[in-house]
Amino acid sequence: MNIFRALGKYIKSVLVIAELELRKIRHDQTQIWIRTVQPALWLAIYGYTMSNISALSKYLPANISYLQFMTPGILAQSVLFVAIFFGITVVWERDLGLINKLLSTPAPRSSIVIGKALSAGVRGIFQAITIVILALIMQVHLLLNPLSIIGLFVIIVLLGMCFSALSMALAPIFKTRERMMGIGQAITMPLFFASSAIYPIEIMPSWIKPIAVVNPLTYVVSGLRGLLATGDLHQLPLDILVILGSTVILLILASLGFKRLAT
Amino acid sequence: MEQQAIVVENLVKEYPRVKAVDGVSFSVAKGEIFGLLGPNGAGKTTTIRTLLTLIKPTSGKVTMFDVDVTRNSETIRRMSGYVPQDVSADGELTAYENVLIYAKLYDMPRQERKKRIMDVLGYLQIKERANDMVNTYSGGMMRRLEIAQALVNRPKVLFLDEPSIGLDPNARRIIWELINRLRNEFGTTIFLTTHDMNEADILCDRIGIMNKGMLATLDTPEKLKSSVGGDVISIGSPAQDCARKVKEMGYNIISSAQNNQCDIVVENGEATIPLLLGKLNAGGIKVESVSLKKPTLDDAFLKYTGSRIEADQGDTFQSAKRARTAFRRFTQ
Repeated sequence: MNIFRALGKYIKSVLVIAELELRKIRHDQTQIWIRTVQPALWLAIYGYTMSNISALSKYLPANISYLQFMTPGILAQSVLFVAIFFGITVVWERDLGLINKLLSTPAPRSSIVIGKALSAGVRGIFQAITIVILALIMQVHLLLNPLSIIGLFVIIVLLGMCFSALSMALAPIFKTRERMMGIGQAITMPLFFASSAIYPIEIMPSWIKPIAVVNPLTYVVSGLRGLLATGDLHQLPLDILVILGSTVILLILASLGFKRLAT
Repeated sequence: MEQQAIVVENLVKEYPRVKAVDGVSFSVAKGEIFGLLGPNGAGKTTTIRTLLTLIKPTSGKVTMFDVDVTRNSETIRRMSGYVPQDVSADGELTAYENVLIYAKLYDMPRQERKKRIMDVLGYLQIKERANDMVNTYSGGMMRRLEIAQALVNRPKVLFLDEPSIGLDPNARRIIWELINRLRNEFGTTIFLTTHDMNEADILCDRIGIMNKGMLATLDTPEKLKSSVGGDVISIGSPAQDCARKVKEMGYNIISSAQNNQCDIVVENGEATIPLLLGKLNAGGIKVESVSLKKPTLDDAFLKYTGSRIEADQGDTFQSAKRARTAFRRFTQ
């Protein structure tokens, strides 16, 4: 009984931290709209142009247009790009003193980390919705049914949690906003290119394929693609397992390092 | 015997290259306003953070209301409120939300929450602007909000790290009045650190003077001041051997030859000055200036640590002020 009470308290503290972050987004929604510009360009310009390269189509799954293939990749990309810079906010809050004060409350450290990651995940849902709407406006055919939508939300939340946890794990190591900005940029592009987000793994340079295999983003894209484009779900359990596993590991690493953010 | 709120015995905190706190012992009575006074790097913040379970002491024993700080950190956190030196209110939220989050983190029952938040905001006179974004607040209002966040849990002990740093004189006075009221009305024990003599003098029941990780002395402001032993005469002289000569005449020097100045303590300043000047003139020592003052905490500090808190301590004030300004600018 005691364990359940402790667990209940823990979950409550996670949710309060997530609420704190989400309230901030509610006060400033412009950031969500600004974040739709980049994926819109990727879809409308890059996607449209690449659709005209007929050689590409033979590498795509049967009966799938390039835009259908690419939309899940752009979904993943847009959430990744926001989550990977999450650590900058944490460093900023550390510099101000907000982290110190949070650490002095009864909330366990790891619940602060998980709450913050969860907020990044939930924020990803808003982004996913805007991109799905964008894709629908561009008349990209997406498989939308209750199951695929729930699956989409689950994967997007995990994606946001996974990479914001990575970013939070790096924050105590790099400690300044400038370095966090640099490190974010240094890792997003390799993560993005070494995944099947905008082209199939089969046509990648062979040396990069092993990276794609261990890249959590590959599994995110694969899962989203199965749900939204191909309808082929036989790899979905593996995809979710890998993402969940990476998320848990990164959350643990971030929690272990978080105390070092106290000044 | 009156119950002790905090008992610190032989507290030591060592970092790889520096001993931040070096064997400090003191106790704070329930309902007392207790201050640690000292320059930057004296170990004040390390001490406060050890009491708050944010830092594990290297050795020594700290208890708060008989609860061991290292053993039962959650109990300690639940009875403490903490206002850090830096900005800790979130500018991207309203004042109400800022307090709400802390009310929730301290498990305040849902039914009481709203009332208690509004009560505490009312108490700190920011109720009318409860639903404004905090990045529109002035520095003083932000500080009051930060105190509100720490108070909503009704802590037994309130920890304030440099409570009035970065605030203008008016805002400081409001904060000081507030801290006093809090103790008088609710009996809250208040533990603060400061490098501001004035703040320590006005606010604290007892002051611990801290320097280089050690507690130099501990007493009431009045006793500390009277312990200086009388009036302080400062003599400004370009002569190198002024201090030596003054000493030879049998005066009690408390500091010497900083910027051609030496300070002596005498019982009756007004009567001593003409005598002293006459002697110095006779000794061929040129005197450029003489000033007399009643002893201040500053002099007591000098007596116990052998140095003054330098003016560049204002750095922290400036940087805190800058942080607050930048914070508002960036988040607006």
